[in-house]
Amino acid sequence: MTEFPLMALLIWGTVVGLDLASMLQGLFSRPLVAGAVAGIILNDPMAGLRIGVTLELFALDVLPVGASRYPDYGAATVAAVAAGAGESWTAALGPSVLLGLLLAHLGGWTIVLHRRVTAWALARAEHKLDRGEPGVASRVHLLGLTSDLVRSAALAALGLAAAALLDYAPRLDVGTERALAIVVVAGGFVAVIGGALRRAGTLRRMVWLAGGMALGALGLGLS
Amino acid sequence: MIGRGRTFLRLAALQASWTYERMQGVGISFAMEPLLEPLAADSDRARAARARSAQYFNAHPFLAGAAVGALARAELDAEPGERILRLRIALSGPLGALGDQLFWAGILPAAMGLAMIGVTQGYGLGIIAVVVLGYNLLRIAVTAWGLRVGLSHGLRVAHAISESWLPGAAPRAGNVAAVLIGVAVPLVASWLLRGSGQPVRATVLVVAGAVALGALTLRRPLSAPGLTVGGAALTLLLRWSTA
Repeated sequence: MTEFPLMALLIWGTVVGLDLASMLQGLFSRPLVAGAVAGIILNDPMAGLRIGVTLELFALDVLPVGASRYPDYGAATVAAVAAGAGESWTAALGPSVLLGLLLAHLGGWTIVLHRRVTAWALARAEHKLDRGEPGVASRVHLLGLTSDLVRSAALAALGLAAAALLDYAPRLDVGTERALAIVVVAGGFVAVIGGALRRAGTLRRMVWLAGGMALGALGLGLS
Repeated sequence: MIGRGRTFLRLAALQASWTYERMQGVGISFAMEPLLEPLAADSDRARAARARSAQYFNAHPFLAGAAVGALARAELDAEPGERILRLRIALSGPLGALGDQLFWAGILPAAMGLAMIGVTQGYGLGIIAVVVLGYNLLRIAVTAWGLRVGLSHGLRVAHAISESWLPGAAPRAGNVAAVLIGVAVPLVASWLLRGSGQPVRATVLVVAGAVALGALTLRRPLSAPGLTVGGAALTLLLRWSTA
């Protein structure tokens, strides 16, 4: 990896980390989007799409509701694509997606840390805040934003370092690579289908889901 | 109004100071600050309004503009502080539930389902760009709408929202998401597995197995990432032990 993509990936990983909750939430942290852009940066858009789609299956099981602890798939996907770009994608899919899953869960813990930092700042400013002193809310808020910026950058840097280290791992044989690819894809489908069924809630919505699957299968048959 | 524009921009970063103690409270105060500037001449009123604005609050971030607008309007209209705090509590649950249903369980999975379908059909980066652009335009429009409704209705904002397009759109978005995710499942399975030289049988087995396991998670939630990492570890162990 040359210097340019490394810096660009670090910046992109930080941007998608901020997009997860602190700023905009405009889909940039979705694995498919984060992976596609990382693929373009690395001049291997197809690796970005394949790894992004697979991690997206896992991410679709997650509802990013405020108080819950959820994985951070954005920077994790950027690192996963960095690990898999330039390789035969069937060989790279399994190890890259596994790296992405581990980093995403580590990212979930970093969100808890970031919230603790913000809570500490809030506790220090609480009396001033409750007295309505001007500028206090803005200061606490900007500190929270800075904390998330640092968190996102650190996670992206750690992910890119892990991706670089993966280059030194012993090569797997073709059979193992294929088996790992099936395992991660199957895991992704368990996540997306389980998530869709739980979100559906009602039998009627499950019928919509089943109808969609039938339509997709029909489309496959016709193509 | 310049204050409204600044509030609108600040709403994009509403959750940066999210904490378990006040949830979005500080973010709401940060977003409301420009709207409360007309109170600056009366420092006691301004202090009381600022103190109230930073109390506990939690709603869907894209709909929080309605609360920010309504609370600011109530402060500017000199409504009693207790009524303003009651409005804050009353808006928190419904704006959260509606937004979660509309965006997190509806529009977001629908958008990603559509993007995945497009990718499998060869529209790759183009469809992703279109989906991201469309989603962000919608998100901006909804936030702007919420802020406008809140500012114009003040304490009556809950009634205005219940009479709007919002409650009807949320369940429809969920239906669209279910269909699009359903369509995406076989297409993505084929794209990922058959594209890598796996036989059709493997694709069918993976989807059928995933449906069965996914259905099991309805009663007993299981961690799909955990299952995957465990499955991969077992695969490596088996391959190495037989090598």
